[in-house]
Amino acid sequence: MVSLLKLAKITEQGVEFQSPHDNESTMLLTPEHSMSLQNSIGADIIMQLDDVVSSLTTGKRVEEAMYRSIRWLDRCINAHQKSDSQNLFAIIQGGLDINLRKKCVEEMILRDTPGYAIGGLSGGEEKDIFWRVVTLCTDLLPKNKPIYCMGIGYTEDLVVCSALGVDMYDCVFPTRTARFGNALTPKGSLNLKSVKFSKDFQPIEKDCDCVACKSYTRSYIHLQATKETVGCHLITLHNVAYQLRLMRNIRQAIIEDRFPLFVKQTFKDLFGNEEKYPVWAINALKSVNIDLLS
Amino acid sequence: MRGSVLHLTPDNLQTIPVDSLGITLEHFLEAQPPASTHFMGGIHKFLNLEDYLLFFDVRDSGKLQHISFNTDKYVSVVTNQGCRKVTAEEYVRYMNAYNPDIFASIADLITDKNPSLKRVKKSVDRTLNWLDETLEQIKEGIHVFGVVTGHDKHEERVRSAQETANRNVAGFVLNGFDLDITSKERLDLMKISLNHLPKNKPRVAYGLGAPEYVLLGIFEGIDIFDTSYPSEQTSLGHALTFLLLENGIKNEQEKFIDLWDNKYRTDFRPILNGCKCYACQNHTRAYIFHLLAAHEMLATVLLMSHNLFHYLQFFKDIRKSINNNTFTNTAMQFIRASNITDE
Repeated sequence: MVSLLKLAKITEQGVEFQSPHDNESTMLLTPEHSMSLQNSIGADIIMQLDDVVSSLTTGKRVEEAMYRSIRWLDRCINAHQKSDSQNLFAIIQGGLDINLRKKCVEEMILRDTPGYAIGGLSGGEEKDIFWRVVTLCTDLLPKNKPIYCMGIGYTEDLVVCSALGVDMYDCVFPTRTARFGNALTPKGSLNLKSVKFSKDFQPIEKDCDCVACKSYTRSYIHLQATKETVGCHLITLHNVAYQLRLMRNIRQAIIEDRFPLFVKQTFKDLFGNEEKYPVWAINALKSVNIDLLS
Repeated sequence: MRGSVLHLTPDNLQTIPVDSLGITLEHFLEAQPPASTHFMGGIHKFLNLEDYLLFFDVRDSGKLQHISFNTDKYVSVVTNQGCRKVTAEEYVRYMNAYNPDIFASIADLITDKNPSLKRVKKSVDRTLNWLDETLEQIKEGIHVFGVVTGHDKHEERVRSAQETANRNVAGFVLNGFDLDITSKERLDLMKISLNHLPKNKPRVAYGLGAPEYVLLGIFEGIDIFDTSYPSEQTSLGHALTFLLLENGIKNEQEKFIDLWDNKYRTDFRPILNGCKCYACQNHTRAYIFHLLAAHEMLATVLLMSHNLFHYLQFFKDIRKSINNNTFTNTAMQFIRASNITDE
């Protein structure tokens, strides 16, 4: 519910919010109603309705939201009509408070859901605190269930969180930045709107097998970027391919027992030289015995 | 637009039986010469359209640009980065680098409201001079179509048609878009030129898109239509549903449905029953209604897929009807049901 918070009023009953389509009608979303809708839609993985606060919030509200999320998890579990075909994930809350997070994990583990999401992050908090919350959760959550960190999508974030034990992610970033003309590559983002690409007849990323890279040049995409919807579509197709390839490479490196080297190489390609490595990432990786600095 | 079909990436375009596309120079002219002229491999490869017949023109036939600071030497073209001047010689140079299948020769199109006869005469003369220059300089194997002008002055239209027909062109373009007029008026002006063009070379008309005008145009001798009708309908959220029916029984048919309309919210039928396009084979009216309401780009992708497919099917039906000798009756029935003032 993070993205709709602006329009929302939260009570113990549920979330009341204004319709994003017209500015008049209001809708009350209760845990029961959210389960009923998700049961109809039929997705394989469904999420509990959580009471989530911005990661920059402090004070009593954070605690209130955490406890309420546990109560709403129970209501969701009770209302779930298709537990043999749809997997309900709990969402760990507690803001940036280590104790609240611990409490939330302890309680939610008792509900033994098919998977666990780490919610309430990726809202502008300091990265150095962000990773500590993530690693606390991955330390405490059961190792035989998937862990899904919500709202994570930058390359370095995906690599670091995977090192900390996260399995699944979602993010609007790759497709949104594509619509603004930015293509993601292992060496960083290319702003294809820039005139420096007008005569560049290479593909976006060498050896990428997406439609955009197999059939078009940067020059062509530069011509389309932000002016034609086809430009949005082609860069989107590339960025999605890039993200999937990144995750595939992470998995392969883990399976082949060369993950630390993979991480170091990825950072080298992305940032160029070690002075540019973000400090939070160095700290986070050190906590799992990956030394970014040679 | 800019060398791509609106909204459609190659995988989507492949589901539609399109075999030729119109390309416009003004979309490439941010730099002069266009950056793509440096690409070794020609325009087909640059645009990833190697399986298509490409037809080039200078200015966008789909919309009227109100600018014409043309001189004897050059034509003015509006780009995103401002005005550009293109001479006949430059245009030919670009065509030689691009290697399209066909291109329309550069023409002096007037966009002033009421040009004098003197101005119109000048435009006919310039266009013919540039055509001669073009025919001298163009490489073998690239076909040139002559543009027939004359604005709204009858004698000049006749003169332009006759003179262009005297040149060694592969076909003719009737560009009515330099005029801010109705489709009916446009067709009437084109008729004047058509009467003086040889019947054994293809005639292309710009700006006739609505189905009844396509049919009327065919009666007057037009062979190829270059129009943005399917795109325009797409941007309005319309899905085309008109059919050219043999033994046209249905007098009343909807030309299109407006998928913004609430009544489609729970309509789980495809846009058009029996249509083989990607949208109709995989999705419902309700889904497209939802996409439009949610401002999702997929709406225009699906609508464009359908509209282009449907429009091309219309032309297939026309060709079949002509071959079966039923065209005259079938077309007249359609036109009558369209409620326009016809002959």
